[in-house]
Amino acid sequence: MKPNFVQKVTNWGNFPIVEKEMKSEDSVSKIKKFVKDNNEVIARGNGRCYGDASLGEHIFSTKRLNKFISFDRLNGVIECESGVLLSDVLEVSVPQGYFLYVTPGTKYISVGGAIASDVHGKNHHAEGCFSEYVIEFKMVDENAAVITCSREENPDKFWATIGGMGLTGIILSAKFKLKNIESAYIKQESIKAENLDEVFRLFDESEDWTYNVAWIDCFQKGKNLGRSILMRGEHALKAELPTNLQKKTLKLKEKPKPTIPFYFPGFVLNSLSIKIFNFLYYNKQTKKQLNNFIDYETFFYPLDVINEWNKIYGKSGFIQYQMVIPKENGKEGMRQILDAIAKSGNGSFLAVLKLFGKHNPQAYNSFPVEGYTLALDFKVNKGLKKLVDQLDTIVENFGGRIYLTKDSMSRSSITNYLQNVDSPKFVSLQHKRIISNNG
Amino acid sequence: MIVLGSNSEVAQAFVEECLTKGEKFQTIYLLSSNSETTEKFVGHIQVKFFQNSEIIPLDLMNEIDYKTLENINSDVLFCASGYLGLSTEDGLYDDENTERIIDVNYAKLVPVLNFFAKKMESKRSGTMIVLSSVAGERGRQSNFIYGSAKAALTAYLSGLRNYLFDKKVHVLTVKPGFMDTKMTEGLPLNPALTASPKKAAQGIYKAFKNKKDVAYVLPIWAIVMLIIRNIPEFIFKKLKL
Repeated sequence: MKPNFVQKVTNWGNFPIVEKEMKSEDSVSKIKKFVKDNNEVIARGNGRCYGDASLGEHIFSTKRLNKFISFDRLNGVIECESGVLLSDVLEVSVPQGYFLYVTPGTKYISVGGAIASDVHGKNHHAEGCFSEYVIEFKMVDENAAVITCSREENPDKFWATIGGMGLTGIILSAKFKLKNIESAYIKQESIKAENLDEVFRLFDESEDWTYNVAWIDCFQKGKNLGRSILMRGEHALKAELPTNLQKKTLKLKEKPKPTIPFYFPGFVLNSLSIKIFNFLYYNKQTKKQLNNFIDYETFFYPLDVINEWNKIYGKSGFIQYQMVIPKENGKEGMRQILDAIAKSGNGSFLAVLKLFGKHNPQAYNSFPVEGYTLALDFKVNKGLKKLVDQLDTIVENFGGRIYLTKDSMSRSSITNYLQNVDSPKFVSLQHKRIISNNG
Repeated sequence: MIVLGSNSEVAQAFVEECLTKGEKFQTIYLLSSNSETTEKFVGHIQVKFFQNSEIIPLDLMNEIDYKTLENINSDVLFCASGYLGLSTEDGLYDDENTERIIDVNYAKLVPVLNFFAKKMESKRSGTMIVLSSVAGERGRQSNFIYGSAKAALTAYLSGLRNYLFDKKVHVLTVKPGFMDTKMTEGLPLNPALTASPKKAAQGIYKAFKNKKDVAYVLPIWAIVMLIIRNIPEFIFKKLKL
């Protein structure tokens, strides 16, 4: 048997699937050599971006860069290699009373990916993006040299790499701050909103909460358009926990995790099954408002409970579409987008709405700008390109843009916003697609 | 715990599995010929498990200074030392490759295993967990130098287990099939037959706790090897395996 590094690679959406070279190393000298020997290299972490962002001609997988380096428990500063997953970090930090400052909706992403995507979470309006807490990182740059980047050292490279989608080099390791917590639980309030106006009002009223997000039913039309449940939360203090949770405040019981065993046949998810799911989800909560304490896993990572949930979309895969529309016209933009989706019948059963806070001007490649953001899943089918095009037009008209971590087919005018990422050494299929569509 | 071949991903995963399961070791001795990955591992288990460990340089291809190993004692030894070498096609008539395969997998490894077996024998306790290979069950044209070295190792371990039985020392022979590691990266392995280092470590840990003598990493390999062992030679010799 001869080694053959060309293999089928795809990310979380199972779309697109490509046959490209993929290699993984844990020795810095070999990583440097890989960069030196190849052009069009792109780093890939745990493959949880949805589309083609971490696909390229020569993929470097960081899966073997999976070691912790240090943990200053006094000051809450952790350093680890770039392939360490956020789930690994939590496993180490939560029992010590520390949580991630910023986490996306899955904990199965790598630290390198978190920096390259400059991920955001339910607390963007209050605490910004992942990069705000990054102290420094080491990377292999286009000269195949290892450099340290921070706000003081190589600041140009530091800021280009934040949200730079891996187009500036391969991140080897990172040092970042963690947040003190007293318990592994979240004090949560869930409030039902009958329509878009109500949920917008709830977001404004919830500004002082650290975490807030709304789940939205995008099959609703007319006066019910935007029917949703807003969830807001705070890390629970030890003293406020109910007595049954007081004993082990920082330790969660391990729960069994089911796995989706195979790709569901294409017909399983259709507009009817999604409508039923959405109906049940909305009506499960009978009261207008529900206040409770839930563990952080349930609050932040509801889908991580099921292994390989992406298989429910079948073999043809799915895309995630996430855009942001600046706040001044955001409400009207969201209305038009939801209206277009409801009319298309291409419903998404996981639509998430959130109000971003201010954009960090230093992190110029970072996606979140102040405004409303909506994330939707769509199964790949014949009509999808047309729907994406329609949505792209609305986003463009309202001056919005697309989250590159999710993108796999949106137009250049709303995806071509990265700067200082033009090295021929580091190129992703996504970047090539965006540049070539630019005309 | 004493770990031979400690830059191996399976060895490191096994250490992590033991620590996750709450096993306690005063010090973990990491014997290795390549310190870069092993050094990283020292920091890693310190952060993750507050576990102390120490690197002991050991290169089977060089003269071994047994004085450096004298003070190393533990109830558990895990050995992942091994070298796959070149394929038959590229390496059969390359003597350096052939010798290295035989040395690392058997000839130079056995004296080191004996050294630690003696310590356990005199203490009348301990477990030696040694990775051999399914390749050692029958020589196949694709990698029979490696396979024959592993066959020798398997025979050695079976004898050692027999010898140490009434000296209260347990010997576990592990026969991994395909594993998704640096050693096999890029090889077209069937995913149903391939274990991740973590999965392999979990299986080995279970076999260790259940005092198994011989263990496959994935149960399916027991069936695959049963078939391979029982193909009559006059047919086997014609197969392209």
